[in-house]
Amino acid sequence: MMIELNNIRKIYSLGKIQVEALKGISLKINKGEYVAIVGPSGSGKSTLMNIIGLLDKPTSGSYKLNDIEVSTLNDNQLAYLRNRQIGFVFQSFNLLSKLNALANVELPMLYAKIPSKERRQRALRALEIVGLSERIHHKPNELSGGQQQRVAIARAIVMNPSFLLADEPTGNLDTASSIEIMKIFYQLNESGTTIVMVTHEQDIANHTKRIVRLRDGNIIEDTIVPNRIIY
Amino acid sequence: MHILEAIKLAIDSILSNKLRAFLTMLGIIIGIASVITIVSLGTGGQKAILGEFEKIGVNVFSIKTRNDVEIRDSDRLAIRDVEMIRKRLSSVKYAAPIAEKMGLAKTDKYTKRALFIATDFDYGNVSNLKVIYGRFLNEKDILIGRNVVLIDKDSAKELFGYEDCVGKTIKIGSYSSFDTAEIIGVIDSGNLKSLGGSIADQIPVIAAIPITYAQKIFPDVNISQIYVMTYDQNQLDETSSQALRLIESLHHNKDKYKTENLIRFLEEFNRILGIFTAVIGAIAGISLLVGGIGIMNIMLVSVTERTREIGIRKAIGARQRDILTQFLIEAVTISLIGGAIGIFLGYILANIVGPFIDITPVFSINTILIAFLFSTAVGIFFGIYPAQKAAKLDPIVALRYE
Repeated sequence: MMIELNNIRKIYSLGKIQVEALKGISLKINKGEYVAIVGPSGSGKSTLMNIIGLLDKPTSGSYKLNDIEVSTLNDNQLAYLRNRQIGFVFQSFNLLSKLNALANVELPMLYAKIPSKERRQRALRALEIVGLSERIHHKPNELSGGQQQRVAIARAIVMNPSFLLADEPTGNLDTASSIEIMKIFYQLNESGTTIVMVTHEQDIANHTKRIVRLRDGNIIEDTIVPNRIIY
Repeated sequence: MHILEAIKLAIDSILSNKLRAFLTMLGIIIGIASVITIVSLGTGGQKAILGEFEKIGVNVFSIKTRNDVEIRDSDRLAIRDVEMIRKRLSSVKYAAPIAEKMGLAKTDKYTKRALFIATDFDYGNVSNLKVIYGRFLNEKDILIGRNVVLIDKDSAKELFGYEDCVGKTIKIGSYSSFDTAEIIGVIDSGNLKSLGGSIADQIPVIAAIPITYAQKIFPDVNISQIYVMTYDQNQLDETSSQALRLIESLHHNKDKYKTENLIRFLEEFNRILGIFTAVIGAIAGISLLVGGIGIMNIMLVSVTERTREIGIRKAIGARQRDILTQFLIEAVTISLIGGAIGIFLGYILANIVGPFIDITPVFSINTILIAFLFSTAVGIFFGIYPAQKAAKLDPIVALRYE
């Protein structure tokens, strides 16, 4: 099992008030799956995403990533796993504005101490996969939103992670660009990449194979998408 | 992340904010530049003064009659005193009497004022006198009071038109009577006369003559002091008191003489130098402190500005240590560049100021290394807090930061 969450609870203390964002989430995601986590704001989906993405630790419960318990690891170990196992795609792209597309894609490999020649080759290959070979020397502000998100996807896949974790990846994009991104996700998933996507848009969720619906910190629905959109 | 990558990142970051980086460096630049300027000029001055001491010799002392007591004729220093010092005191290497007398030097064409230094064959050894043509006085010259003279090379040129006038004769004496002496040597006159102009005309002929000859032609000549050189600097104090006692016993008197040596001056000089160094150190410390605070301030601003960047880097796998290194290296790079500019500026400044105060600045590798070391230390010391702040940012919070 790639991702195995068992009775995950997350409690935030805001002064004297305690807020229970996740009330015992259990979820299994296999290799090759394409899962959408949906729910209204305040449902806990961001908290769940942070925990799955190893950016946050659960208050209690168990999280096994590739059969290794990760809920008790320290910051350095988590950084290592984020680097090797998880590819992040954010709503606001989160590219470094001073670096060009190529350098942005090379960044995770810098922290993995991959030699510069190999870094370049792999970054070029990743940019080719997302269809941006032409604009590798452009800085983020010289690229359209869709293009920026494609750079971010290239950055996410360049370390060959266990899964992509996308947080509202089309949230800042127009319809045409959104479709582009969904096409890339489709192709990546078809070639074996596991994708976990947080979204609140139903039609974006309909691109995935499985929808996990949250409300008030609980999973209220976990279904196979009957008529998913494919390209 | 490799150090080299981090350095490249730091330089990129500095270049993307040139004016701000420069203003941040200014404190360090001014601090290091002033230290380099003052230290190089100080070292230059010290070297020049020590060089003078070295020339004269630090294991030399002089014996004089005291000028605060009554001196009778029988108390006056005599050639015999010099001979006895040489003979009786085993630690004495050389000893020479010195009598100075103003008079005139004449050739067929010119008459010039002259300062006669009446001494003996050891004088060349106890002073920094350099014979450039001919020879110095020898034992026989002293023994028979031979009518020989050495003159300085500038005077030689003025009187004869050329420097090497060995073998020529010159008339020397006071205003009423003159004696003919043979020039046996020409001595270096140092740089006194290179000043030129009217000052050069004021400077008399410097002429060394045998003390015994001086006693023949100047009836009133008196030995003003005896220069004594010991074999070793450590023997200086003991030999001085031995020489004093010896001369007192020869003249059957007490407390009429005093000895002086350069060690005392040297010690005083070093003491002043120590104070000077401490003051510079304090100034340097304060300016580097101010510079360091500037760096810390701007690094804190930079961490806040780049919170989101830090969040992104952490999300994609940067460890705390990577972020810490990145910001620390940035701080150190700023202070090192500031230090380098400061060293360069100090070098230029010292070379501009040096000629005005007649000091050749000395730049030692040590000074430059210490300047670099200090810059690095300032960068680390004032960079560590902002860097730690950056490293400890929570990635979730950092990613949300607008």
